[in-house]
Amino acid sequence: MSLTYLEAIREAQAKLLRDDYRVFIYGQDVGGTFGGAFKATKGLATEFPGRVLNTPISEDAIVGTAIGAAMQGMRPIVEMQFADFSSIALNQILNNAGTHYWRTGVPVPITVRLPSGGTKGSGPFHSQSMESLYAHYPGLIVMTPATVEDAYTMLIEAVAIDDPVVYCEHKYLYYHLKADKLPDKGLPTGRARIAREGRDLTIVSYSAMTQESLAAAEELAREGLDVEVVDLRTVKPLDTDTVLASVARTGRLLCVGESFPWGGTTAEVIARVTSQGFYLLDAAPQRLNAKDTPIPYHPNLWSAHRPNAKNIVAKARALLRE
Amino acid sequence: MLQTVQRTAKVKRKKGAPASVGEAAAGKATPPHERFLEAFRWMLLARTLEEKLVSLYRGGQITGGVYIGKGQEAVSVACGLFLEKGDIFAPLIRDQAGRSAFGEPLVDVTRTYLGSRLGPMRGRDGNIHRGHPRDNELAMISHLGAMVSVTVGTLMAKRFRGEKKFVGLTCIGEGGMQTGAFHEGMNIAAVEQVPLVVVATNNHYAYSTPNDREFASDDLVERAIGYGFEGYSLDGTDLAACLDVIGGAVKRARAGRPPQMVVASVLRLSGHGEHDDASYVPEEMKRQPFARDCLKVAGQMIIESNLLDPDTLAEWRKNAVAQVDDAIATAQKEAVPEGDKEDWCALSTRHLVDHVGEDE
Amino acid sequence: MPQVPIIMPQLGESIAEATIVDIKVKPGDEVVDDQEIIDVETNKAVMGVTTPCKGKIDKIAVQLKETYPVGAVLGYIEASEHDAARFTKHAVPPLPQKEVAEEIPARADQEVAPVREKKIAARDGDGDRAGDLPVPAITKGATFMSPRVRARMAELQLTTADLAGIMGTGAGNRVTIKDLESFLHKIENQTAHEASKIRAGVADAMRRSWTRPLSTIGSSVNLDPALQDRRSRDPKPGLGLYALRALALALAENPAAAAKFIGNRVVQSNSIDVGIAVEAEDGIMVPVIRGAEKASLADLTTKYKELIELARQRRISPDMQAGGLATVSNFGIFGMEWGTPIPLPDQTLLLGLGAGKKVPSWDETKNEFVPKTEAQITLSFDHRSVDGGGASRLLKRVIELLENPKQL
Repeated sequence: MSLTYLEAIREAQAKLLRDDYRVFIYGQDVGGTFGGAFKATKGLATEFPGRVLNTPISEDAIVGTAIGAAMQGMRPIVEMQFADFSSIALNQILNNAGTHYWRTGVPVPITVRLPSGGTKGSGPFHSQSMESLYAHYPGLIVMTPATVEDAYTMLIEAVAIDDPVVYCEHKYLYYHLKADKLPDKGLPTGRARIAREGRDLTIVSYSAMTQESLAAAEELAREGLDVEVVDLRTVKPLDTDTVLASVARTGRLLCVGESFPWGGTTAEVIARVTSQGFYLLDAAPQRLNAKDTPIPYHPNLWSAHRPNAKNIVAKARALLRE
Repeated sequence: MLQTVQRTAKVKRKKGAPASVGEAAAGKATPPHERFLEAFRWMLLARTLEEKLVSLYRGGQITGGVYIGKGQEAVSVACGLFLEKGDIFAPLIRDQAGRSAFGEPLVDVTRTYLGSRLGPMRGRDGNIHRGHPRDNELAMISHLGAMVSVTVGTLMAKRFRGEKKFVGLTCIGEGGMQTGAFHEGMNIAAVEQVPLVVVATNNHYAYSTPNDREFASDDLVERAIGYGFEGYSLDGTDLAACLDVIGGAVKRARAGRPPQMVVASVLRLSGHGEHDDASYVPEEMKRQPFARDCLKVAGQMIIESNLLDPDTLAEWRKNAVAQVDDAIATAQKEAVPEGDKEDWCALSTRHLVDHVGEDE
Repeated sequence: MPQVPIIMPQLGESIAEATIVDIKVKPGDEVVDDQEIIDVETNKAVMGVTTPCKGKIDKIAVQLKETYPVGAVLGYIEASEHDAARFTKHAVPPLPQKEVAEEIPARADQEVAPVREKKIAARDGDGDRAGDLPVPAITKGATFMSPRVRARMAELQLTTADLAGIMGTGAGNRVTIKDLESFLHKIENQTAHEASKIRAGVADAMRRSWTRPLSTIGSSVNLDPALQDRRSRDPKPGLGLYALRALALALAENPAAAAKFIGNRVVQSNSIDVGIAVEAEDGIMVPVIRGAEKASLADLTTKYKELIELARQRRISPDMQAGGLATVSNFGIFGMEWGTPIPLPDQTLLLGLGAGKKVPSWDETKNEFVPKTEAQITLSFDHRSVDGGGASRLLKRVIELLENPKQL
C-alpha cells in the first residue's frame, strides 16, 4: 500500500477530525462529494458531516472566521485553494492572527493550508511559494514539509500547536512523492532533518527543492563529490543549530529555495550562518532561488525560472571548486 | 427566503409613555424605555471619561491617538446593554459607552491610555485596540471590517459546541462598511446563518471624507437585503429609539432570525481623533437634526419628563467624575512597561520561538 | 584610412602599469615606424613607447600623469591599408572602462591580481565621507585564506610561513580547509614535540624579519692589526667588540644606512644603538648598547662583561634588547667562515664576522705572498632601506676601521 503526499494530507485531516472534536475544515470547494480542488478532503465531508464546510470566495472572511472560532476554542483548518490567493487574507493572517497573542495574551490556534509551488503550466497566480513572506511577520509558524511522512505528521502537529501555523504543502509533490506507510511520529517541529549525509558541501533547502537537491547530490556523487542535504522542514522557526553543525562539518554552503530571490529563506539562512558561523566557512556562501520575475506559464520558461537539479549541480560544482 | 427590509424603524413606545418629550405628565413619568435611565448613566460615564481623556491628551499625558465617541453614546450603550453573559461583543472605535455597559472596567481604559504595564495589552497595543477575548470582548485591529468575520467565527464555535440563545454584536462606521473585509464578513455571516447583529453608525464623516465620497447608495440600510440580513434604520440621537431598535435586533437574532443590520444616523461631534480639529465639517452640517448631542437630548428629556430630580442627576454627574478620577489616579500610579523587561515573544508556544541569533 | 592602436607595451617582468610622463606628438603629426612618441615611467625607469608603424597621429587617448595598465590603448595612428593589415590580428581591443563592483570574472581569466586598488565611486550627494577604504578588486587567488582557514590557523597558532609546504587545491591553488587539515594530519604521523619558548620566540622573530627583502654583501678583513692591538690591552676585548665599535663609528658617520623603511617613509634614528650577541644559559640574548659610538673600546669591554653576568642571572629584559639599529654577530667563534645572518626584525643591519684563518696574501710592496690572518665579514641588510652600493660603502668603512684599530 503506498500513499502519495496528497493522500498523507488527507489521512492527517481524517485523523484530526476523528480524534479531536474541535477540528473543522473551512475553505472553497472542500465540502460535499467534491473534496477540494486537489482532493485533499475527498470523502471527509461525508465521513464527518457538518465539519468540512464550503465557503464563499472570501479569503479574508474565511480566515477571519477561523480566527474567531479558534479564539472560542475550536481548531480550524483553513484550506486556501492556492497559496497565491492567500494574499487576500494577508491582513487577517499577519495582522490579526499573528498579533493576537502578543497583544492580548490569547493565542489563535488556526492552521492555514497553502497549496504552494509550481507545476507545469500553472502560471503566475497558481504557482507561488509564500513561506518567506509569512515567516517575515512575527507570531506565525511556517511549515514546509518535503516528504510524505512529514506532510502527515507535521499537519497533525500544526493543529495541536496553539499558535497560528501556515502550512505550505507543495503541489508538485502531491502526486510525485509516495511512501509505503505513514509514521506515528516525526521529528519535533522546528528541527531540520539531514536528508543526506555528506562531507564536501552543505545544501540547505525545503519543500520540493529538497527533492531537487537530493537529485543533484546523486549526480554529484558520481563525480566523487559528497553533498550533505539539510531539509529545513519548518522555515520558521528555522533550525539554525542543525545548519551550523552541518556547515561545521563541510565548510561550504549552498541554499536553495523556490521563492523569489530578494530576501526570503535562503537569504535568512545565509545571514545567520555568516553572522554566527563566519569562521566555519571555507568559501563564500551561495544561494539559488527563482528569478526575480513573476512565475511564467510556458513550461520552458517555467523550468528556466526556478531552481532544478541541473542548475543546483552547476552551482554546487562551482562552489566546490572555490 | 429573506424578510423584507424595514426601512425606518418605528420607535416603539411603552404603554403610557409620553408621545413626545414635551408631554410630560405631572410627577415622575415612565421613561420611554425601561432601561432608559440605566443607559443614560452609562452614557454619562462614557462622556465624562472621554472628556477627561481629551484634557489629558491636550496636557501631553497621553502618547499616541485618542479616539472618542462623542455624539454616538446612545447607539453605543444600546449595543452593550442587551448583551448577556456568553454573548460576543466586538466594539470598534467610538464604543466607550457600549464597552462600559458590557462590563469593561473603567481602569482598563485609563491603564491603556496612560501606559500602565497592568493594562489589558500591557503596552503592546494602545487606545481602542484593547479587549478581553476570554471575556468575549474582542480586541479590534485597525483594518476596519476585519472584525465582522471574526465575530462570525466566534458564533460558529458556540454553535459547534451546542450552545444556544447566544448572539454576537459588532459595530462599524459608514467608512468601515466600504472595505472588502466588511463585505466578505457580512456575506459569510448570512451564509453561515449566525446570530449576528451589525450596528453601523453613519456619523457622516470618515476621517475627513463626507458621505458623498464614501458610498453611492441612497440609504446604506438597503444593503442588508443584498447581504441576506434584516435591516433597520435608526435615529442615533434618540436614546429611546436606540434602545428599542438595537434591543429588538438583539432579541431577534437571539431568537434565530437571520443576521440583523442596524444603520444609525448621527454626526461625529469630535475630530476623527483628538489630533484632528475637524475643521472640514461645514457649519450647516452641525445644524442638521442628526447633529443633536444624544446626551444632551436624553438629559433634557430626563429633566422635562421629571424622570429624575435634579439633585439625583447632579449626584450622578458627580459620581461619574469620581469614578473617572479614581480610574485615572490608579493608572497613573502604576509602573510603565520597560523594553528590557519585555519577553519579546510573539508565540505562546515558547519552544517554537525562532532564534534569529543577532540579539541574543 | 584604417586606424592602428598604440598599445602600452610590456615594460618588464611583473610590470603591470605605467604613468605617462611625456607626450611628444599631437593629432595630425606625421610619424615614422618605431618613433618614440610617449614616455612612460614605471617603478624602475622611464621608457619610451614607440609607434607600431608609420602614419599620422589620429588620436591620443591618454593624459599626462595618469597611469594606465599594460595593454591599454594609448592612441591611434592612421596608417595605410598595407601597414594596418600587419596589426589587425594583434590589435588588442581597448579595455572596457568598467564601473565598480564588476562581476568576478570566470576562473580561467584569473592569472594575476590587478595592481591598482579600486575605489567605489561616490554617488552624487554622498557628501563628505569619513573613511575611504580601498576596495579589493579580487577575492580569490593563491593567497586567499577563507575565514575557516584563518580561524583554524589562529587556533593552532600557525602562520603563513607554516603553510609554505602545502600545495593548495582550491581556486588559484589556494589552501582550502581540507588541504590544511590533511597537512596537519600528516604531521600527526611524524615525531614531534612541543617547541621551547626560546625556539618559538626565535622562530617568530625570524619569520617576521624574513617578510622583508634581505640581502647580504661580504668582503674579507685583515684581522692582524686588531689582533696586534688586542695584545696591548687589558682587559682584552673580543673581536666582536672591535667589530661593534667599528660599526658604531661607521654608522655615526652615515646614519642613513641604518634607516628603516616603514610604509613609504624612511625613518631615521639619531641614536646609534647597536646590539651584541651574548650567550645565556638557554639561548642567545642580544642586548643593545645605546649610543655605541660614544663608548670606547675599553668601555665596551667593561659593559660586555656586565652583560655576560646579567645574562647568567637571566636579567636581560626585553626592553634591553629592543630598539637597536644593527647587531654584530661573531659566528666565527663557531668556526664558520661566512654566513648570511638575518637581521633582527626591528633592525635593518646585521654584521657577521667569520672565523679568521691564516691565508697567503699578495704583498705588492714585497712582491711576494705573505701570511695574513683573514676573516670574511658580511653585512646583511634590508634592501628596502639601502641598496648594495650603500651597504658596500658602510661595510668598506667598517673594514677600514677594523684594519686601523688606532681609530677605534
